[in-house]
Amino acid sequence: MTRRSSPAARIGKAVAVTALLAFTLFPIYFMLSTAFNARAASGTDALLPTHWTFEHFTTALTDGHFTTYMTNSAIVTVVTVLVSCGLALLGAVAMARFQFSLRTTVLVMILVVQMLPAEALVIPLFLQMKDLRMLNSLGGLVLVYVAFSLPFAIWNLRGFVAAVPRELEEAAYLDGCGWWQMFRRVLLPLVWPGLVATSAFTFVMAWEEFTFARTFLNNEERMTVGIGLQHFFGQNVNDWGGLMAASTMVTIPVVIVFVLAQRRLGSGLVSGAVK
Amino acid sequence: MATSLDEPAAPARVDPAARPRRVRRSRAARPWLLLAGPLLVIAGLLLYPIVRVTVLSFQRYGLKEVISGKPEFIGLDNYREALSGDYLWKTVLPNTVVFAAVAVAGTVVLGTLVALLLQHLGPRLRALVIGSALVAWALPAVTGTYVWVWIFDPDSGIVRRTLIALGMLDPEGFNWFTDRLSFYAIAVLNVIHHGYPFIAITIFAGLSTVPEELHEAAKLDGANAWRRFWSITVPLMRPVFAVVTILSTIWDFKVFAQIYLMPGGDGSNPDVFNLGVWSYVSSINQNKYGLGSAIAVLLTLVLLVITMIYVRALFREDELQ
Repeated sequence: MTRRSSPAARIGKAVAVTALLAFTLFPIYFMLSTAFNARAASGTDALLPTHWTFEHFTTALTDGHFTTYMTNSAIVTVVTVLVSCGLALLGAVAMARFQFSLRTTVLVMILVVQMLPAEALVIPLFLQMKDLRMLNSLGGLVLVYVAFSLPFAIWNLRGFVAAVPRELEEAAYLDGCGWWQMFRRVLLPLVWPGLVATSAFTFVMAWEEFTFARTFLNNEERMTVGIGLQHFFGQNVNDWGGLMAASTMVTIPVVIVFVLAQRRLGSGLVSGAVK
Repeated sequence: MATSLDEPAAPARVDPAARPRRVRRSRAARPWLLLAGPLLVIAGLLLYPIVRVTVLSFQRYGLKEVISGKPEFIGLDNYREALSGDYLWKTVLPNTVVFAAVAVAGTVVLGTLVALLLQHLGPRLRALVIGSALVAWALPAVTGTYVWVWIFDPDSGIVRRTLIALGMLDPEGFNWFTDRLSFYAIAVLNVIHHGYPFIAITIFAGLSTVPEELHEAAKLDGANAWRRFWSITVPLMRPVFAVVTILSTIWDFKVFAQIYLMPGGDGSNPDVFNLGVWSYVSSINQNKYGLGSAIAVLLTLVLLVITMIYVRALFREDELQ
């Protein structure tokens, strides 16, 4: 198709690509140019990086407490990913490999709980955590994030488990493996790509979650990055340079995870969301 | 793409009756053993809270009741308060529904156009467009919202400064965040920017399953690109379009951080609340947990209806058994 296109079509395509890239990348460019610019107080001055500086980053890390916030978020995220993916793998194997009564019911339930809005869950969970004195506890946050990410993780992994040929499992049994041995030596390595994709989605959810973190945490020492950003809004003056520098630091891990998981992400999405 | 969601049970290799009873029973228990952990977490932290929020919605539950721990059952009073008066019907519901409709339409249309564009690009440009879309997708909702707030900052934002320099705006400027139409226009821009990459990449993957021969044959019959899109691509891709549209609808109905983090969205400007923000501000900010729960239940019911349509769409594709 490309080779037969007329000059008009080629110009149209070039315009479309340029407009799309401008819309897609401008906010990201503007975030970076503000973060590195000493004259970040005005939007028009911040547009071109004429006065390079790392000062906003150092301020964000020290005065802005971002060293603490990033550490808290990293702990919460890593524990959530490990627990959630472990549980989801067990659930996915059960859903994809066993026939049992109520199976369809469990499947529909998993699908339906994915739509529950955080705004509805946050009220009872807040009151519950308050009763249990688990507000300001990173453990409480992990518990909620695991629950929140689990339905999608099971749903997503299920497709990957179902794609592993049954014959391989049977062969392992014939070779004398027990179920756990088969699970560890055959199933686990083959579902690894699915685990990578699922971990990526769980990572992103836990890293940038806002609603529960905003509700559960009010102790500076315990805050995560999602709510830490609001500290750059002052009574009268907003520290846009610091805010954009901190935003950049929050964004980088997510971009890295997306790039690392990129190929798996596509397959995971298609099998998880579409198939 | 339309392969079945799961395979039917493979016939048992060994006649189960020939196995000792103990083995059979342990095999029947195994799926539940595997599901025990996940189901426990889901039941305790998703299903129980939904029951509790429903109970709360029928109670008076304010600061006093939080302390005493003895809420009073008041029937439908919270619902009556939420549903009566103009606020829900003239402000919150339009904010929720019109925003979701515009954002979903915008995201799906842009995502589809980008997917079609990707098909007509060489490998290098294609990688560039997909790569930048991935970065936009990776930009966290929280930071993305702050960047859009910065771009439209009524005081020193780039849009204001540029418009004033061009003489298109009076020097006293204009606060886009107090007017609800411009507030939501910015929110739509934010949500489309964040949401279109998922749709574009999913539809692009789906497009590769449409046989090229169909397009060639239609071209020989004199069908132009517009006609071919509606007569070939859309019918064949119907399941993919259905899924991305319904998923976007669910996401855009319960959008929270993107509204809450914009100036005024955190409670100071009731003109811009949607159902989720109204529920949150009523309960968490104002300690009216009963009223907030009633609003949350209403939001959940709306989402439940959309989800039922989604589940039925999946069933109809004969993929879920």
